[in-house]
Amino acid sequence: MSRSDLSIDEVRKNQSTSREPPRKCGALDIVISRKMFAGVEGPLTVLRDISLTVQPGEFVCIVGGSGCGKTTFLRILAGLETEYEGCVRLDEQQIAGPDLNRGVVFQEHRLLPWLTVRDNVAFGLSRASSPERSGKVQHYLDLVGLRSFEREYPDRLSGGMSQRVAIARALAGCPEVLLLDEPFASLDALTRIRMQEELLRIWQAEQTTVVLVTHDIEEAVYLADRIVVMSPQPGTIRNLLPVDLPRPRERTSTEFSGIRRAVLDELLAHTVV
Amino acid sequence: MSTAEQNHRLPWKAAAAPAPKSRVRMKKWRFHLSDRLLGWIIPLGILVVWEILARLAVLPPNWLPAPTVIARTIYEMGATGDLWKHVGVTITRVAVGFLVGATAGTLLGGLTGYFSVARKLFDPLLQSLRSVPSIAWVPLFLLWLGIQESSKIALISLGALFPVYLNLSVAMRHVDPKLLEVGKLYRLSSFEMVRRIIFPAVLPQYIVGLRSGLGLAWMFVVAAELLGASSGIGYLMIDGQMTGRAAIILGSVLLFAICGKTTDWMMNAAGTRLLGHRAR
Repeated sequence: MSRSDLSIDEVRKNQSTSREPPRKCGALDIVISRKMFAGVEGPLTVLRDISLTVQPGEFVCIVGGSGCGKTTFLRILAGLETEYEGCVRLDEQQIAGPDLNRGVVFQEHRLLPWLTVRDNVAFGLSRASSPERSGKVQHYLDLVGLRSFEREYPDRLSGGMSQRVAIARALAGCPEVLLLDEPFASLDALTRIRMQEELLRIWQAEQTTVVLVTHDIEEAVYLADRIVVMSPQPGTIRNLLPVDLPRPRERTSTEFSGIRRAVLDELLAHTVV
Repeated sequence: MSTAEQNHRLPWKAAAAPAPKSRVRMKKWRFHLSDRLLGWIIPLGILVVWEILARLAVLPPNWLPAPTVIARTIYEMGATGDLWKHVGVTITRVAVGFLVGATAGTLLGGLTGYFSVARKLFDPLLQSLRSVPSIAWVPLFLLWLGIQESSKIALISLGALFPVYLNLSVAMRHVDPKLLEVGKLYRLSSFEMVRRIIFPAVLPQYIVGLRSGLGLAWMFVVAAELLGASSGIGYLMIDGQMTGRAAIILGSVLLFAICGKTTDWMMNAAGTRLLGHRAR
């Protein structure tokens, strides 16, 4: 039986024998009434009237065309943007800035070129004791399947491998929420499919809440429990579409195509060319 | 089937298999060797022709003495201990001047690179000072600091300062903001940000600045010593000129070349060590 054939519960049961204790996964309570940017021709409203609740352990994908503010939305969740009207809470705690309880993966891997793979994964763990740190690094490198590359430098890694290291780095701080901003956009089609499978496996093993931003509809339908469709000018939520397909999902099935069609229609309806 | 039999049946495998590898290696090695030899042909040829022409008295010996005469002059000075004194003095001047200049350049570069207010305050002034030819400072330094060591050190420091300042300041301003954001994400303090992200990010260009600063320190020590010194390699040159001994002048040129090349090589080796895998 291959790993992907296991149900979520079975995977979770298997994982409980691992060294890492089951983590606490966070619930997000998001209200952004308005987010402004200073544009060339005066202030620009990037996000408006956004309200979303993410359940603990849920996998949510944000889909939208370019310029719909989905990256800004994720940066607010990460705590990298703090100037906006509204309130974003993680487990009842207001988000005021970056914290280890939220792991972030960007479109570019953003690994530090002067550190080895191992040191990159350990980057946020400087407060941990040395055995705890190496234990975590080993665990997460095992999880992303790159244990044998721990002494390599990022310039020796392929795009997909680099992104897996970036995911390991984001997870090493034991976040309650994993935030991903188009993490596979710069990878080739085949690697992207592999990475999507990997991410599902990691999500099932680590039991965190995941918010992933993408412009790839198929990616969203393949991964998400729920798809958030956004439209631009100003960026706002158009619709919330649940994906009730069992995993692993068959990309060519009729149900899959049906949901993909629905998301596409929703997006096209609000696209101004 | 035994291996001997196999070898017999496949003779090309037994005999030829290891051969191509070693042949390739041989070829490569020979290629490298011939490359290096090629580089030596012209200089050695010039030396030989020069020696012959000097011996035949085609070249006037008081203008262009034979290479062997220059070598003997250096050797004799080394034997009396005179040479080591002068070389030592010059190296000390370069070392102190470079240390002072590089330290000032690092402080100013770090300050202007980190704080944009400091850049707006200092950078225009430093940029305009940089465009003043170095020798132009000599009369002022002599007036202020006298003809003793301090005026020479000041001139050398000034030479070393600008490349260090410029490279560090520019590199700090161009640290990838995406990597800085990673530091922000992990809530690094300002000090940690500098230590763990900014410093390693600017290191390659900082080392380039230090190397060119050192090179300029050697240029400026020549200027300083030519313009009034009672010791040092530059003084030897002036002495050779005054007493009409071209061998000493040429020998001093050679000494400057050797010293400059050696310190640059040392700096480069230190830089390569610091950069680790990034130096490849």
